[in-house]
Amino acid sequence: MPRRISWKTHLIAVACLLGAAACDRDEIAYFRVPKPAPTLAATAPAPAPDVAPAQRPASGGLRWTLPAGWTEAPGGQMRFATLKPPVLGKIDGSVVVLPGPAGGELANVNRWRNQIGLPPIDEAGLATARKVIQTKAGPLKIYDFTNGGKDGSRVVAGLTESGGNTWFVKLSGDAGSVGAARDDFMKLLRSLRFE
Amino acid sequence: MNKYSQKLWDAITSLSLTIVCLALLMVLVVACTLAQVRLGTFGAVSLYMRAWFYWMDLGAFRIPIFPAGATVGLVLMVNLVAAQAKRLELSWGKSGIWVVHAGLILLFVGEFVTGAFQVDGRLAIEEGQTVDFVEVPRHVELAVTDVTDPASDEVFGIPETALARGGTIPLRSGNHETPLTVRVKRYHRNVLFMNAGPTLPAVGADQGAGVNVAMQEIAPVTTDDRIDTSAAVVEIQAGGRTLGTWLASNAIESPQPFTYGGRRYELALRSQRQYLPYSLTLEKFRHDVYPGTDIPKNFSSLVRLRNPGTGEDRNVLIYMNQPLRYDGKAFYQASFGKNDTLSILQVVSNPGWLLPYVSTVFVTLGLLIHFGISLRRGVRRAGAAAAARAAQEA
Repeated sequence: MPRRISWKTHLIAVACLLGAAACDRDEIAYFRVPKPAPTLAATAPAPAPDVAPAQRPASGGLRWTLPAGWTEAPGGQMRFATLKPPVLGKIDGSVVVLPGPAGGELANVNRWRNQIGLPPIDEAGLATARKVIQTKAGPLKIYDFTNGGKDGSRVVAGLTESGGNTWFVKLSGDAGSVGAARDDFMKLLRSLRFE
Repeated sequence: MNKYSQKLWDAITSLSLTIVCLALLMVLVVACTLAQVRLGTFGAVSLYMRAWFYWMDLGAFRIPIFPAGATVGLVLMVNLVAAQAKRLELSWGKSGIWVVHAGLILLFVGEFVTGAFQVDGRLAIEEGQTVDFVEVPRHVELAVTDVTDPASDEVFGIPETALARGGTIPLRSGNHETPLTVRVKRYHRNVLFMNAGPTLPAVGADQGAGVNVAMQEIAPVTTDDRIDTSAAVVEIQAGGRTLGTWLASNAIESPQPFTYGGRRYELALRSQRQYLPYSLTLEKFRHDVYPGTDIPKNFSSLVRLRNPGTGEDRNVLIYMNQPLRYDGKAFYQASFGKNDTLSILQVVSNPGWLLPYVSTVFVTLGLLIHFGISLRRGVRRAGAAAAARAAQEA
């Protein structure tokens, strides 16, 4: 004769199930995953394009003159603005502000190189890759890296320090798209100023 | 059954209780709909429907002022079950009503399962890109990734609940171990970053992008179109010494690297990721508009689904109201960006997604059975009455 299971047993079973589900949320997850391709979307854990960030930055303003056809959108706390050049393909323009030295120039340059799949460089390599232009916002250090030729990825970025902040103005994406927008981007960099 | 038990049983099984519950639900639906303007869908549903009570904030403390959806739903379900047990006889004549009640109970159970287990995620994918993970924007995780291997990464994700609890967390999961220990010094769900100054002390990071940064905790965002700027201050320890203290935040766009024992690691606070045993490649995103206007007509994503485990390799077209349902997840077309080269899919994982459909089938079937039985009874009665009249006339 089958044994009758009491309602208490059922209740305990349901409670254990819910408890197990709740405990599972506290465990460290582990995954071994193939290396992501060096594209921007795969490497940048930034807020989604359809989700507006939490707040505008409290600090004031680096400004620039937009080249013809370019548009800009406000960003979040550390992403000050998003720049959109009028070219097709994968391309992302950003103005990011971080308090202080933001880990230092070498670390940030190697972070950009890492984003397009290039190995890190040392201080000597940094000096070789650096180009400095004068702007109304002060001297701007510019870097231009490409990985994979015309069909690969490219990043062109400038950084400057002011008022205890480090500002990064960066254009990255498909090498072809970045190449098409590079001249206008350089004009934008030369127009940088603080207002 | 004593007097009080009888009174309680009568109350639980009363039709009045059913009507009160239905009235409360109507009030909640109206309040929740109006609140969506202010709080967004997620915030309003969490506050009015998925909670046990609606709370009023009185500064230092808060009090429940109205039963919310979970309470009303539970009471209504208990009322339905109890009333069925009390009033309905177990007979073929009432079988339709039994099936209808079973369908309604299943509907309530489905809503509880959805509330408890549904996970809403997001998959952002660019044309030509292959993605094998889903992000859950409502939750963050501290990801420590061993990137030493040139072919693959080992990802350890510390969930938000563990970060909020704080303390020291050895970085291991099951049989997978690292020599690292993460000490969570601070964690806030939403913060405002500022430069550190004499009156505003830095968070204490001595490594990475967060050196000399101060932060102030602020209330979490409640609307759908914004996300929290979460932040954690963590010290990484290994081999009995500290490797440094980092500020990790989803506002910092790139992972922060460090090394230990010849291995390279990256640290990032990011949206919680669920890695999939299959991958999706966006072949083509289409954004059609009505001719001569900017009014959207159609969004669609042609994705290539590859599952090495099953050998599947096929193209799937995802468009509005036509999701891809695969491996317990539904991928809906949700948004787009980057000059129409980026598609954003909403990914819903709900183990109870079938229950409302099953419930609807039960209710329909029950009503049909009840109608059929009543019709048969009516026809028989009419036949008997006609026979009686005929007998009288004869």
